[in-house]
Amino acid sequence: MTGLAREFLVGSFDLLWRVFLIVVPIMVVLELLEPTRAFRALVRAWARVVRHVGLDERSAAPTLIGFLFGLAYGGGVIVRDVRRHDLGRRQVFIMSVFLSMVHAVVEDTLIFLALGASIFWLLAYRIVWAALVTVTLTALATHWLRRRRTGLPPPGAGAAR
Amino acid sequence: MIREDDTTPAARGPGEPLPQPPHSFWGAARRDLRLGVLSGLRTFLELAKVMIPAYGITLVLDRLGVIARLAGVARPLMQVLGLPGDAAVPLVVGYVLNIYAAVGSMQALDLTMRQITVLAVAILIGHNLVVEGAVLHKAGMNGFAFGALRIVAGLVAAIIADLLMGAVS
Repeated sequence: MTGLAREFLVGSFDLLWRVFLIVVPIMVVLELLEPTRAFRALVRAWARVVRHVGLDERSAAPTLIGFLFGLAYGGGVIVRDVRRHDLGRRQVFIMSVFLSMVHAVVEDTLIFLALGASIFWLLAYRIVWAALVTVTLTALATHWLRRRRTGLPPPGAGAAR
Repeated sequence: MIREDDTTPAARGPGEPLPQPPHSFWGAARRDLRLGVLSGLRTFLELAKVMIPAYGITLVLDRLGVIARLAGVARPLMQVLGLPGDAAVPLVVGYVLNIYAAVGSMQALDLTMRQITVLAVAILIGHNLVVEGAVLHKAGMNGFAFGALRIVAGLVAAIIADLLMGAVS
């Protein structure tokens, strides 16, 4: 049992240190970049892409960070923006489904590329799959919600799930 | 200098807009830097609160032999993916622990490029479910539902990828 406790302590410290080293710089850089024109242009361009899965412009930035850096590291930005911009359950749901299917495309993809997997299936296929799953689940959730509370609400206005 | 009380994220209500930045460049940069460090530390603490218990749970699951038992259950499923039964181990290790652990246990197997890609698709979509589920939970979603979604959707995506690769070659 002491072995487990030791492993837990060492592992926790390792995990915290890694998250700290990545999360705090990401937040600082993001806070510095957010008011710049270049960053806003990037987010707007990204927003035009993710609009097709139902994400609005305020959700675009946290989605981009999660897409690039992952749920564990991008999760900080997601949690922050959900609170700061009051994104609403529908947007959080869409974002969570999309990011569940595809996130951390830089780090995770590289690991498997190193093993010899093909980049097409790791990246292009995965992104298309993520879009399909997101659109399907959002439609199902919206449909199910509307049937449950009859006559309510019009699509896009209510909260999903 | 900006007063402490109106720049700390904690002092702001959820709906209120950010305070107006000062006009000088360095003043603005200093404000952003401070805001960044503060929100960075704050989200770090929030993530730590959910990640550490989740990490503890995964360790206990591993120690209790749950991973080995789940891998035994998942063995027959591997055939559908065109994988040897032993490939269930990296898959389940990835679900409960993380990608690095999964890759580690993949090294022990002798897989073709196609098998590696199929397994990679399933693991890339579903991994680190306990810790990442805790993060989703923090964002207000159901971590269990999303864990189940990622396992199922990852396996289906891997099966489709395997079928498509078979059709192409």
